[in-house]
Amino acid sequence: MDEIADNTFTEIHTAELPNDDPSLLTLILELSPGGWFNIKDETTILDVVKSLLVFLNGHLSLNNANQVAFIISSPTGAKFLYPNPQKEMDELRRPEEYEDSNEMGIPSLVSKGMYRQFRIVDEGVLEEFNKSINELVDADNTNITSKLAGAVSLALTYTNRMLNLDQSISTTTASAISSATKESTGVNTNTSSSSYQGLTRIKSRVLIVTPNDNEDIKYISLMNGIFAAQKMKVPIDVAKLGKKDSSYLQQAADATNGIYLHIEKPVGFIQFLSTAYFIEPSIRSLIILPTNSNVNYRASCFITGKSVEIGYVCSVCLCIISEIPESMKCPTCNSQFDDKIIAKLKRKPVVKKRKLENGGAEVSSDNGTLAPATPEPTPVPE
Amino acid sequence: MDTSDEEYVEPSSVPKEHKAKKRTNQENTGYSWEDEYQRTWDIVKDDDSRSLEAIIQGMIEGRKKKIMKLSTSPYQRGIIRTMVVIIDGSSIMSEKDLRPTRFSLMLQYLQEFIVEFFDQNPISQLGVVLMRNGISHVVSEVNGSPQYHIDKIRGLRSRQHNRFEPKGDPSLQNSLELARSLLKYNFGNNINDSKNSKEILIIFGALFTSDPGDIHETINSLVKDKIRVKVIGLSAQVAICQELVTKTNHTKNSNYGVIMNETHFKELLMDCVIPLAITKDSAPKVNEEKVPLMKMGFPTKIQPVTTSNLEPLHFCACHPTRGSDDTKNVVEIQSNVSNIGYKCPQCFSRVCSLPTVCPVCGLMLILSTHLARSYHHLVPLSEYKEVPKNDEGVYDSQWCFGCLLKFEDGLGSSRYKCGECKNDFCIDCDVFVHEILHNCPGCQ
Repeated sequence: MDEIADNTFTEIHTAELPNDDPSLLTLILELSPGGWFNIKDETTILDVVKSLLVFLNGHLSLNNANQVAFIISSPTGAKFLYPNPQKEMDELRRPEEYEDSNEMGIPSLVSKGMYRQFRIVDEGVLEEFNKSINELVDADNTNITSKLAGAVSLALTYTNRMLNLDQSISTTTASAISSATKESTGVNTNTSSSSYQGLTRIKSRVLIVTPNDNEDIKYISLMNGIFAAQKMKVPIDVAKLGKKDSSYLQQAADATNGIYLHIEKPVGFIQFLSTAYFIEPSIRSLIILPTNSNVNYRASCFITGKSVEIGYVCSVCLCIISEIPESMKCPTCNSQFDDKIIAKLKRKPVVKKRKLENGGAEVSSDNGTLAPATPEPTPVPE
Repeated sequence: MDTSDEEYVEPSSVPKEHKAKKRTNQENTGYSWEDEYQRTWDIVKDDDSRSLEAIIQGMIEGRKKKIMKLSTSPYQRGIIRTMVVIIDGSSIMSEKDLRPTRFSLMLQYLQEFIVEFFDQNPISQLGVVLMRNGISHVVSEVNGSPQYHIDKIRGLRSRQHNRFEPKGDPSLQNSLELARSLLKYNFGNNINDSKNSKEILIIFGALFTSDPGDIHETINSLVKDKIRVKVIGLSAQVAICQELVTKTNHTKNSNYGVIMNETHFKELLMDCVIPLAITKDSAPKVNEEKVPLMKMGFPTKIQPVTTSNLEPLHFCACHPTRGSDDTKNVVEIQSNVSNIGYKCPQCFSRVCSLPTVCPVCGLMLILSTHLARSYHHLVPLSEYKEVPKNDEGVYDSQWCFGCLLKFEDGLGSSRYKCGECKNDFCIDCDVFVHEILHNCPGCQ
């Protein structure tokens, strides 16, 4: 009887207040040594982490059932800092252990009297964060490419679990809700068999914080991640620190209806976080957001690396090239291009000249043909 | 006395015979209505050794793994596809074995198919042909815009004009010839040259076809034009369809499916979204014949200024006539929702949705993201393997790498390992990674 009563109560509750659904916030912090070095005059990684923790705590305090996850994308690989399955979430330090932690180099950001939820998250993140910094120092720095695509994938697999499967996970902070459901529905709630007992629909978003100026993200993997996020309706917010814009991350934010902000001077980072990124996706349509309007979706040429306005696409491997190579071969898949079609492509300007003589639509066709097309360097065997 | 005795005996002996028949029927799995009602939950018995829940868990996992269709070996696929969907509009389609009718369910699924098709194959084209009353109609021309097709299908579905309600006999030959001509002589832009993958998908409800000529000749010409045909049958297999499919695909493998129920129908239809692998027969020829190169424009986005309350008027080149019947405006004024536009880099005309062909200069306009959507077909993710116990009889990992789910000690191992990064994943992450993400979180 209790079960029935509980269920009906919560169902009515969610139906009446659809905007009060809990939400999951997944933070991805990129730990690229070069990037952080470049902005060392503006801020330190510690300051940013401090602000992020305040941000996470703020998110937790908005709704009792809100959840957070913290993923770090270090050159050694992407991994979860929080939730951490190796640590029981109820495991709290005793006061005497704090001295040890200070010796380990954890800054005393976490006070003893802090609200329990905050303390669990903050301690977990800081401890693991220090570990991964140390790992990074020990690791050989030969391979320092960005692992951001992996971090996004991790965030999405975790989100997928939270959205579709059980939300009553022992590693998350929603202890209030999950413990309540555990009591009411029995012991076995932590298996995926409870997938349809999820009482509330959780919303989700991802925030990427990165100072990385090198565009060394694996493009295809990141794009796959973006499309998955699009399908799951998970917005990806991006806070790009440092001097340069990141066009890939701009695309990520734009395609998923997220917010992209390029923060050159991240002094008082918490201000940015709390104004721009605090807004739940459900109310974003009501608020004018500080996002940039000009997303550069232009493709870049696979040979020259420059952005292309009118280019050619290989029909086998879909690589984009700005001019037809002299070898008439695709630079990536090495398949021979069809001469007839290339000849046809090159014939175009001739056709349009006639139009010019006739005097129709001079300006537009003129601009159109002369500016981008005409790959002159390659000779045409006609 | 004698007669009366006989009369008396007879009625009692007849039921005996009936009873005997009934028994034999039961033994040879007789009529189900004569059977005792069986409750399926009585069959299931709890095994003392393992909990029922674990068994069910294992069954669910096995099913998920089975449903997940993996194609891990990187085939060369015909990424640029031109497909003509032939739908059956003969009188048999008003049959109500699919709810509400075969015809309307087909159209409903077709809409979903179109959306999915263009989502996965952004640089492909599609056309729809309806066979009805012995002849075939073009429902929508071969075109690359999903919205155009959906509008046309909606037109078919709408009840107001019943001009297209199912009627008459289907003619496979007529519609195949029409589709062939659409595929063959489809001019316009350069992406539609001869060497893309040409496909016909037939959704066939009837069990016969009434043709004006010899359909075998049509099949032969389809083979000659390298058009590949897939058939989804709504009732039963038809010999001519089987022949059509086998001949045009050069393989025995079944591109001919007959639906079992609504979900199966959808599954079969959605299977057609994945680009076909280039078969052995055609692959060497393609390589010899050289690959086409396509000219494409990557337009810039024009976003409205949101700071002022006054919305400037936006005109686009792709809908010059929409709404003209009502308002007599020649150029449509864009609604607030879609006042994002893209500028063609060649002629600077404005279009309101991508991918499309520029209505002014005929350049294929696309975003690099659209191209990126097709990449996972070319480079599929390798399959995860189920993890065996290690030497000590236990598993190495305790948590799923992707979602941190704690592995339960169920029936099977329920851990699936990526061959590249040696991380273990749970079944749900396995499905998600392979079906939606196309990206192994550990390998990146």
